[in-house]
Amino acid sequence: MWLKTLVLSFCQWCNNSFFGHGIRDSVWLFPFVEIFHLIGLAVLGGTLLVLNLRLLGFGFRGGRPSDLAQDVRPWMIGGLAVMLVSGFLLFSTEAVKMYGNWAFRAKMSFLLLAILYTFTIYRRVVKADEFQIARVWRISAAALSLLLWSGVGIGGRAIGFVTTSASSVNVSASQD
Amino acid sequence: MWFDSVLEWLKNTQFSMLMRESTWAEPIVESVHVLTLTMFLGFAILLDLRLLGICLTRKRASEVLAQFNPWLFGGFAVMVMTGVLLFCGDPVSFYDTHPPFFKIKMILLAVAGFNVLIFNLGIGRKVAEWDLWPRTPVAAKVAGIVSIVLWVLIVAAGRAIAYVLPPP
Repeated sequence: MWLKTLVLSFCQWCNNSFFGHGIRDSVWLFPFVEIFHLIGLAVLGGTLLVLNLRLLGFGFRGGRPSDLAQDVRPWMIGGLAVMLVSGFLLFSTEAVKMYGNWAFRAKMSFLLLAILYTFTIYRRVVKADEFQIARVWRISAAALSLLLWSGVGIGGRAIGFVTTSASSVNVSASQD
Repeated sequence: MWFDSVLEWLKNTQFSMLMRESTWAEPIVESVHVLTLTMFLGFAILLDLRLLGICLTRKRASEVLAQFNPWLFGGFAVMVMTGVLLFCGDPVSFYDTHPPFFKIKMILLAVAGFNVLIFNLGIGRKVAEWDLWPRTPVAAKVAGIVSIVLWVLIVAAGRAIAYVLPPP
């Protein structure tokens, strides 16, 4: 149970931090950070989508997938960085509430898997040349990428629609 | 004004009521609207970055334009359709917010459309000439940067609408 205590105290620390407080108390800071989150979504999602469509064989032909991947890579990583920073700031405004939100937990699980997958297996499949790898592996790799990142996106959308049960955040009373 | 009565009429249609009162219609339509940003805005930004000469530089500009076009059209169609549906749910409130973020968004969209038009009638028409240049011409760069700035503002205005609408 030490892990649960650790995570919860981290959430409480976020809640009470100057940025958690500041964004929560301001009328326009929260939407302002959301704009960064959305632009990051467009750039990260766009680069992933273009690469996956190429691997699936839906257009963007001409040139190797590895070249396309290399071209979009800085923008993909930049988009991801913007999403992570802005996402953390949004999370910090109601971190303890998020702790008990199952959609948020699902999103974080998908996010962890998606990041691990993208920078390991997926990266190797993309790097492999046309002759080195069977088409079925490319299609599978692209499909899994779309699945994992869709999980992150849909999970993110679901957060707002899930009502957090009070029992799972009973520790929140002690934060004030 | 006649337009106000059109909005009032729209609000009282069965369709509008369905959008307003259904538990799932609004969240689903809104989610599609937001997640389609990856296809529409993501691709638009990648294309703009190509016009600026800082992304996809291995591909010819004409190739990038041709390859992105069908997805941009498809993505934009989904954005407009879901946007119209969201608007239909509460047309009077959308139109009358203070500050008028919805009107600002519509004006910015028109300007973005105008930017695309100017590009297609101007430097875009001569894309074959500068296709292989290591650096893109200034006019293409201007079109790219103007497009990015406009879309960031459109996203900002869109996000702001949610904060000035009256609670349901």
